[in-house]
Amino acid sequence: MAGATREAAMIERLWWRAGFGPRPRDLRGKRTHADLVHEFLHPRGATLEGPEPRVDGRPLSPANQYGQDVLWWLDRMVRGRHPLVERMTFNWHDHWATSNDKVGDVKLMMRQQRTLRRYALGNFRTLARAMVRDGAMQIWLDLAGSSDEAPNENFAREFFELFTLGANNGYTEKDIREAARALTGFTFDYDSKRFGFDPKQHDGGTKHILGRRGRFGPLDVVDLALENRHHAPYLCKQVWGYFSPRTPPPRLVKQLVSAYTQSGYEIAPVLSLILSDGALYADLEEPDMIKPPVVYVAGMLRQTGTYITTDDWVWMLDQMGQRPFYPPNVSGWEQNEAWLSTSALRMRFQAAASLLHDAIEDGAIPADRSPEQALEHSRTYAGEPWTSKATSSALASYSRLSVAGRDEKWEVKHYWPERERVLRQVLLAGPDAQVC
Amino acid sequence: MPRGCSDWHGTRAALRNGGGRLVPIPERALDGLPEFGRGGLSRRDLLAGGVGLLLAANGMPGLTTRGVLEAAAAQAADAPDAPILVSLYLDGGNDGLNTLVPLGDARYAELRSRIGVDPATALPLGDTPGFGWHPSLAGLRELYDAGKVAVLPAVDYGHPDQSHFNSGGYWRSGIVGPAPDRTGWLGRTLDAVGTRDNPLQGIHVGWGQDPSLNGKHAPVASVSSPSDFGFYIPDVWDEKAFLPTYRRLSRARAKHPSLAAVRRMYGNTIETHDRLAPLAGEEKPAPPPIAYPDTDLGKALGNLGRLLGAGFGTRIATVSSGGFDTHDAQATAHADLLQDLGDSLRAWQADLDARGLSPRVLTMIWSEFGRRPEDNDSGGTDHGAGGLLLLVGNRANGGVRSEFPGLTRLDDDENLVVTTDFRSVYATLLEDWLGVEAARVLPRVPGGSHLPLLRAA
Repeated sequence: MAGATREAAMIERLWWRAGFGPRPRDLRGKRTHADLVHEFLHPRGATLEGPEPRVDGRPLSPANQYGQDVLWWLDRMVRGRHPLVERMTFNWHDHWATSNDKVGDVKLMMRQQRTLRRYALGNFRTLARAMVRDGAMQIWLDLAGSSDEAPNENFAREFFELFTLGANNGYTEKDIREAARALTGFTFDYDSKRFGFDPKQHDGGTKHILGRRGRFGPLDVVDLALENRHHAPYLCKQVWGYFSPRTPPPRLVKQLVSAYTQSGYEIAPVLSLILSDGALYADLEEPDMIKPPVVYVAGMLRQTGTYITTDDWVWMLDQMGQRPFYPPNVSGWEQNEAWLSTSALRMRFQAAASLLHDAIEDGAIPADRSPEQALEHSRTYAGEPWTSKATSSALASYSRLSVAGRDEKWEVKHYWPERERVLRQVLLAGPDAQVC
Repeated sequence: MPRGCSDWHGTRAALRNGGGRLVPIPERALDGLPEFGRGGLSRRDLLAGGVGLLLAANGMPGLTTRGVLEAAAAQAADAPDAPILVSLYLDGGNDGLNTLVPLGDARYAELRSRIGVDPATALPLGDTPGFGWHPSLAGLRELYDAGKVAVLPAVDYGHPDQSHFNSGGYWRSGIVGPAPDRTGWLGRTLDAVGTRDNPLQGIHVGWGQDPSLNGKHAPVASVSSPSDFGFYIPDVWDEKAFLPTYRRLSRARAKHPSLAAVRRMYGNTIETHDRLAPLAGEEKPAPPPIAYPDTDLGKALGNLGRLLGAGFGTRIATVSSGGFDTHDAQATAHADLLQDLGDSLRAWQADLDARGLSPRVLTMIWSEFGRRPEDNDSGGTDHGAGGLLLLVGNRANGGVRSEFPGLTRLDDDENLVVTTDFRSVYATLLEDWLGVEAARVLPRVPGGSHLPLLRAA
């Protein structure tokens, strides 16, 4: 691959993996890949651009209208000017997967989301401590109300298994039970919606956790887990997993772990290494990561310069398998091939179709438009997406054959626009559009 | 993948190339089959051609006995009377001890001091004193009393893992511990008995993908509503304008597994759409004899009834029902879940009866683990071990069919002692119900794996 082309392909991949896809102008910019990585890691200026979302002519009201929490977040992905912050905020939502299905309070979910955003590129220890005290999390994993009399293990278990160490990775059932004791004392009053900490309900006794012994309190559990030698490799691999479906090369894991631990659990140095490493840009000629539904939808909106004017995206995302604020369980969404099923793919097809609604009117395409021009116009509309050789040649032959012999006036009026509707559809929803 | 695969594919190829010359199976081809097929397919059945086994004469010489047998099973898949297994997953870890309540166990009331089922309200099991169904389970009790429910308390595996993710993964893959690949036990079953061209042989009723149905070769489908699987582009008059292009793209080669998987799944999706055509226009399907509850589970089973009724060659279907992770405020939530479960199952069996399908369908109801015998301070229960597994169907061997270990002696984590390995249940269902050699699907089947789960037809 020639130097300039490779640079362009790296930039396109960066936008998809570290953001929510490129707008057409993002691919035509003058900045180098290295400039962009720096910009992603050091966001400045306004966080949003473009028109505010409206549904039925009204602005969103996430806390009051069904599904508008999802639209609110999708809008951030579409209009956000700090791609990596947006993407990491969502990645952390997947990591600390909390579902409003149980929390049942959009305000608490939004508050958690703000916390994830604040530390998106920040310090993992600070984030973990904030998550222990987060209201939505405390309800989700039964931390609120867990008392010395009856410690609830739910949070302690997932904290080790999913948030910090990895399943069966350096801890035992005994550690979970002891950590649950250390985490007792948080309270929640359902009527006033107030969270608190009651020292009388905290187990102040000695605990044995991860080989250490002491009268540990809730936030000590964070430090004990982070200081465990299994934590840094686990977390660094998790973070890498958000950017690539491939196993990270061992030398890169070593670098990530050392950057992470030497900085005192800072995430930015880890991200900087990942986004600059050649391993992320393997096989640029054929992308190898399946877009998560939010990336697919937000990306499609960005590619076509579309803004949110309908709440159909809520159920469509749901049926593609990814509704923000509603991860399927505490381990978050399963990635890559797990996104694929016949019904989810059909919904991805339908999502593109709904975007194309009313885009080209009958009679709007002149009869002298050549097959090549039809394809070129469609590619421009769809934001110049990557296409494989197979797709390029299938579209070229479709562009020729679909209107061949259709010269009657009524045929030109309908079938010439129909050709471009189909071309746009395949470019936005076909097999190639599912990978990045 | 077990090495039997090449045998099977050889057999299929021979069948396809046989040009319709049909001969009975020579008895020598069945040598070395003493124990296979204790229920589903027997040596005798094969000799009698009872599964519609038709082999091309020129395909015989190279075949192993296992190849013959599995060709038969593959053929049976196309037969209109092939058995169907439905997996109904209770997502989150159902509290078995409050589903089938061990009323006769002296420690129950003490361990469940906060959310125990009142013995006065429990629905007694006529044939098994000491147990009662949760009061919300009238629907299930009716089926039990009709002898259509085999009950297995305390099913799990040795040293059970209390993580949803791990334990659920083990149940879905059929392998305890790290799995070698993404396949699930039901997907591998379809690899063995299924076809390579019919996604509707394995259906997940829902939007997502069910990992237990992942196979290496056999395509499967997720269908939520069978009459709603169309492809539309606004102002494009006919799907024929674009489906050929999509079909062409789904067959293109890819260099990497992700794009290859997308293309394959696109192919399955369009194939599913094509095959569902008979149901596409069915606006108002005939109502079942007993109405399904207006719940996600009721709707899913109702849709599955329509799919099975249409005769798409389905062998395996999966449905799941969520909300069973009852860490807090369990009493009312669990009662509602069980009400839905019992009522849905009653309607399901009545629907299958009305369609003439009930002799062919067996429904396995399972969860990734049971819950802790001692309830917690939040009015809920934490993750435990030894879950309750149910088999529902005309051929289910009604009654309590595995040992309940009691609550006096618990394991090191204060959980129910596991008496039955779930892989033994799978192995029994594979051999006795689906006619597949268990070892082809399950790499490690524990000893003594045959359980009395089915009764004679």
